[in-house]
Amino acid sequence: MNRFVKMHDLDMVATALVDLKKGETAHIYSTDNVLIAECESLDHIPYGNKIALIPIKSGEQIVKYGANIGACTAEIQRGALVHVHNVKSNVVDIPPVFKKEIMRQMGIDVKEGFTNEF
Amino acid sequence: MNFKGFLRPDGSVGIRNRVLIIAVDECCDGIARAIAKTSDDAVVLTNAYTCMLGGNEETLNQMIANAENPNVAAVLVLAMGCGSILPSQVMEPLKSTGKPVESLICQTVGGTRKTVDAGVAILKGFEAYTNTLIREEVPMSKLVVGIKCGGSDTSSGIASNPSVGLAADKLIDLGGTCIGGELFELQGCQDALRARASSPETYLKIERLIENERMRWSVEGTDVETMSIGNSIGGLTTIEEKSLGAMHKFGSKEIVDILEINDKVVEKPSKSGFYLSEATMLCGGAGVNYASYGAHMILWTSGAAGFENPLVPVIRVSGNEDLINDDIDVDATGIMNGKENLDTVSNRVIDKLVEVASGQPTQLEGLGGATLTLYQKDQRLDTLLNIRCNKAQ
Repeated sequence: MNRFVKMHDLDMVATALVDLKKGETAHIYSTDNVLIAECESLDHIPYGNKIALIPIKSGEQIVKYGANIGACTAEIQRGALVHVHNVKSNVVDIPPVFKKEIMRQMGIDVKEGFTNEF
Repeated sequence: MNFKGFLRPDGSVGIRNRVLIIAVDECCDGIARAIAKTSDDAVVLTNAYTCMLGGNEETLNQMIANAENPNVAAVLVLAMGCGSILPSQVMEPLKSTGKPVESLICQTVGGTRKTVDAGVAILKGFEAYTNTLIREEVPMSKLVVGIKCGGSDTSSGIASNPSVGLAADKLIDLGGTCIGGELFELQGCQDALRARASSPETYLKIERLIENERMRWSVEGTDVETMSIGNSIGGLTTIEEKSLGAMHKFGSKEIVDILEINDKVVEKPSKSGFYLSEATMLCGGAGVNYASYGAHMILWTSGAAGFENPLVPVIRVSGNEDLINDDIDVDATGIMNGKENLDTVSNRVIDKLVEVASGQPTQLEGLGGATLTLYQKDQRLDTLLNIRCNKAQ
């Protein structure tokens, strides 16, 4: 089983408790340990990172723990990695230079002209 | 439920008999450490900023408050003699605690070597005193625990933070007191905090102090590291995500008050319950902040890093199967792999709290202590940001 946990009923994302390769199936568990969904990954989802459980439009709020954790900056498909390349904070965002370093270290493609704005 | 602690002359209860050596200026740090080498009980707190008082009153207040901490059985205050912070300024407020307090001024004693010798002799006298102290049964209502996270990763939000939060709720049900902090990392949590505040006034104070932290850290001129790059590679995307996961460790009880610490005052818990505070998100400084508020120990959730504080023992809780090692006091990995639930792990946290309060050393006690960092807010910056005008006095 490729264990992922969805922390709250309202959440749009689930957290990887395994390292999931692109094209593999994520098994989504609730916090009381019930298998609630399956989802094929469109990206490599490293341990601890988030997979999208539904399609999310640019500008929409991302919900985890039942609350808004940031705004979507580029359309996210179901099964895609949700992270600094397609989400920005509503409060104090990570500086671009650090975002680029995070993406470089994680092997996330940095597109030409990446700004992480709407 | 009870634990075994040391009754102090002022009625407070300590869980350790530390001898605190305070170097009121950085020039006598070496003297303090030379003296401390001769005793296992000795802990050094150095004002590493300056020997001047202007602008450093918050540091002076914290030196006094650390000496007042019930884990401190006796105090030695050191000064070089040429600075503007005098040992008497630290000693005067300590009179009401009834604990033994001595001081040495290097210039007056006759130099560094004589001061070290005199300090070693004072510590021998303190040791004779602490050897007479015996642990007695005291109720959990005497226990004050700081709650802090560090080296956070995905397992923190899922395992260690929720289990510590549940343990905090249980400790408060037993009559104890918990203190949280890290206000910069409560951004995006305001709705949940409003619902928990003891009164509208308490919530306004919480909101004001969080906003102050946001303003301090949002001043242009340098990049703001809301999270470490390691946090993000571990899967945390925004400060809100980190904050919501981090807030789980503060449980669900009413927030009695939020404790301020500044150049005028160090507020302390007035009754049992859950408190927020201005304890910083930076671990070394937070250890000193929590000691200032009167905490006996710190519950610390982590991926698996080894933060320890020599004055206020730290109980480390980790749920990271890959990183957990023998620095960690409570294993929460069972929550990650579905083999244990939060209730079981939170009971283990409570058991560990009682054991450590009653004298059992933590995994790192006496081995890997962090520096007692005297972190303070910049009063000039606060003046420029118009923050100073409405603080507690």
